[in-house]
Amino acid sequence: MTRTTNRRTTTCFESCGLRRQSDADPWLTALPPALRRRAFSIVALVTALTLETALAAPAAIETEFDDQEILITLPSEALAPDTLPGTAPALADRIQEYLTQARAQGDPRYLGYAQGLFERWPEDRMTDRLKILRATLNQSLHRFEPARVELTAVLNSPNTNQRLASQARLTLANLELVQGHYQSAHAHCRQLANDFPGLIAASCLAQAQARTGNAKTAYESLQAQTHRSLAGDTISRIWAEGTLADIAAQLGKPQAETHWRQVLMLAPDDLYTRTQLADWLLERGKNEAVIELTNAYERVDSLAVIRAIAMKRHQHADADRLSAMLEERFAEARWRGTLLHQRDFARYALDLEEDAETALIHARANWRDQREPLDTRLLLRAARAAGDDSVLADIRAWLEKYNQRDARYPEARS
Amino acid sequence: MIPALHRMTACIAVLMLIALPAWAHKASDSFIYVDPTQAQVRIDLALRDLALVLPLDSNGDGKLSGAEVRKGREAITRLVDQGLTLSNGSGPCQLTGRQWGVSRHSDGPYAAGRYQVSCPDSQVPESITYSLLFEQDPLHRALVSVTNSQGERLGVLAPDDRTMSLGTSTGTFGNSLKLFTTFLYEGIIHLLIGLDHILFLLVLMLPPTLPLKPRRSTQAPRGRDLRNRLLELVGIVTAFTVAHSVTLALAALNIVTLPIAWVETVIALSIAVAALNVFWPILGHKTWKLAFGFGLIHGFGFASVLGNLTSGVSQTVVALAGFNLGVELGQLMLLVVLFPLLYFCGRFRLYERAAVPAMLLMVGALSLYWVAERASAI
Repeated sequence: MTRTTNRRTTTCFESCGLRRQSDADPWLTALPPALRRRAFSIVALVTALTLETALAAPAAIETEFDDQEILITLPSEALAPDTLPGTAPALADRIQEYLTQARAQGDPRYLGYAQGLFERWPEDRMTDRLKILRATLNQSLHRFEPARVELTAVLNSPNTNQRLASQARLTLANLELVQGHYQSAHAHCRQLANDFPGLIAASCLAQAQARTGNAKTAYESLQAQTHRSLAGDTISRIWAEGTLADIAAQLGKPQAETHWRQVLMLAPDDLYTRTQLADWLLERGKNEAVIELTNAYERVDSLAVIRAIAMKRHQHADADRLSAMLEERFAEARWRGTLLHQRDFARYALDLEEDAETALIHARANWRDQREPLDTRLLLRAARAAGDDSVLADIRAWLEKYNQRDARYPEARS
Repeated sequence: MIPALHRMTACIAVLMLIALPAWAHKASDSFIYVDPTQAQVRIDLALRDLALVLPLDSNGDGKLSGAEVRKGREAITRLVDQGLTLSNGSGPCQLTGRQWGVSRHSDGPYAAGRYQVSCPDSQVPESITYSLLFEQDPLHRALVSVTNSQGERLGVLAPDDRTMSLGTSTGTFGNSLKLFTTFLYEGIIHLLIGLDHILFLLVLMLPPTLPLKPRRSTQAPRGRDLRNRLLELVGIVTAFTVAHSVTLALAALNIVTLPIAWVETVIALSIAVAALNVFWPILGHKTWKLAFGFGLIHGFGFASVLGNLTSGVSQTVVALAGFNLGVELGQLMLLVVLFPLLYFCGRFRLYERAAVPAMLLMVGALSLYWVAERASAI
């Protein structure tokens, strides 16, 4: 099973642009409807004419830089985009390497390189493996629908070999879990358990069960299976431990930390897991542990935001420096328009800028795409901070629908 | 990967992080700052991106030193020449280097160059086109900032959208014109759908349509009578216009602001008082004075609508001029239709005896109802 696709991607590198809020501005609601429609056209015109943002001036041009100074260390030459590989397997290997790098380093440039290769590759030479990789790329770029369509097509094609079909199914199940489509996820996990039995399929099922009201059973049965297959391969173990951690956190069990640390021991560059653990520690007020865990990960947005919050709460000497860095980073990302990491920005706005309105806008846009517990909790917090009861009601209704209970947001089901 | 090797690369990665500041990871962007009025452009290209397309790492050690970047200057300049074009109607403009060095953004060091832009017709550039790095990385973007007297405008250039207008010369003028006409239209519409302003005007218009009792004995010829009435009307409307223009400008430019609920109430009250004044001239016979006095209040009413529409508009003055002119135009349209009609009706005794009192009564009642409604909302 390919390692590239076996973790949930929750980071959004691109294309999770700001959707326009459908809500009217407050002053508009005070106007009669006829006037309101005209006001809209004016507001649109005004926005088009004067897109003004307060941006800090760019850093000065330094003309007297030192010849000896090392300005930058380049990524290895093997990782630079160059000529198009000649065969489909060679292309797939290369793209898989880019996706792995993007995930391990949290560096979206590699996603761009991967897309560049796909754009130059003729459509009639796409193999199933390439299609699965393209779906994974699309998922990383938050283009969920094209990813879903492509994976479904691979699964429905009669010629797909069993192994690739399982890979496609796992990727699709994962996507459905991230988006909160639990029925579909459950069906795919079950099919996967038939086609490719083992800890990965068991983790898939356990996750779907846990999110739909059966967390305790799911945890116990997955834990039993994990104990039984001690000799399992590393990737399967990583899967199982990561899932156990998540369900433990959902149940409020302190074992979550042990499971996550287990994963990090096996895969230190698993940023998804590191982020979850950092968040868990932060919620428990272990700011020093967070700072230690995120040391050397300031370049990754999700970890940098959690680190900055921990530093602020700990009154760390570096807190202001990191906050200023994040401010610049998010200003550039907003200029680009397609907000890189919507969830991270929302959390930054909520916990560091204390701007509940902005946080709510982005937490909400993020929740349209991704509904993992941390996404849901962030939206709940932002909505509460902004005093938006209708959003709270929407989330509660959704949680109710799936009977989802989570110790990370117990108040959601009051 | 064998574990030992894995651990080794991990070590190297950690060392790297210690040796260098922790730059963020972000998608690839170039930064372009245009100042069309100064005819200058600055472009910042990430060293990491440049290394993809130029052989900057001359000693092949996977690092870029200051010397290597300096040595690459010519190649970088050539690349900018190929991939960045500013132009106007007379063709592409020439870029002349003014300053060159390194700069930084959130993800690391950039090569930065500032250029003087000279277009063939010596005018300002009107558009910018950028086409670097898109082939290597379709997610690459150029983030463009255009600064002029009106502030900063931001844009993004992408593989399928490589050109953007700088909003200069005709562009700026065109924008202002568009803004002006939009607000002109809004002004007309606001006057024509705003019943309270129409009723107030109607009440002001009535006295000049009524027979002039004191002058009736002089048996003035009908032509002169009409001229006097028109003069009176012009006086009234001018007074109203001048007054509300003054307060509209004061409020729109945030020099004087009044609570809108009070303004709305007084506007309603002004209609009732004006109606009353036609029969019992408690405020005197000179309708223009009344028009001026209450016109001041109506200006604040217009301003509140304008204020809602202009939030975020940088060219408030253009918007204000358009809106005010629109209000006057709407007013004029109303007069052109209503006055001849009322003047014609003025020939009949029934008009003075029944129609005018009925109108005034209705208008008065309606406006008093508004007063009550608006006052209770305060």
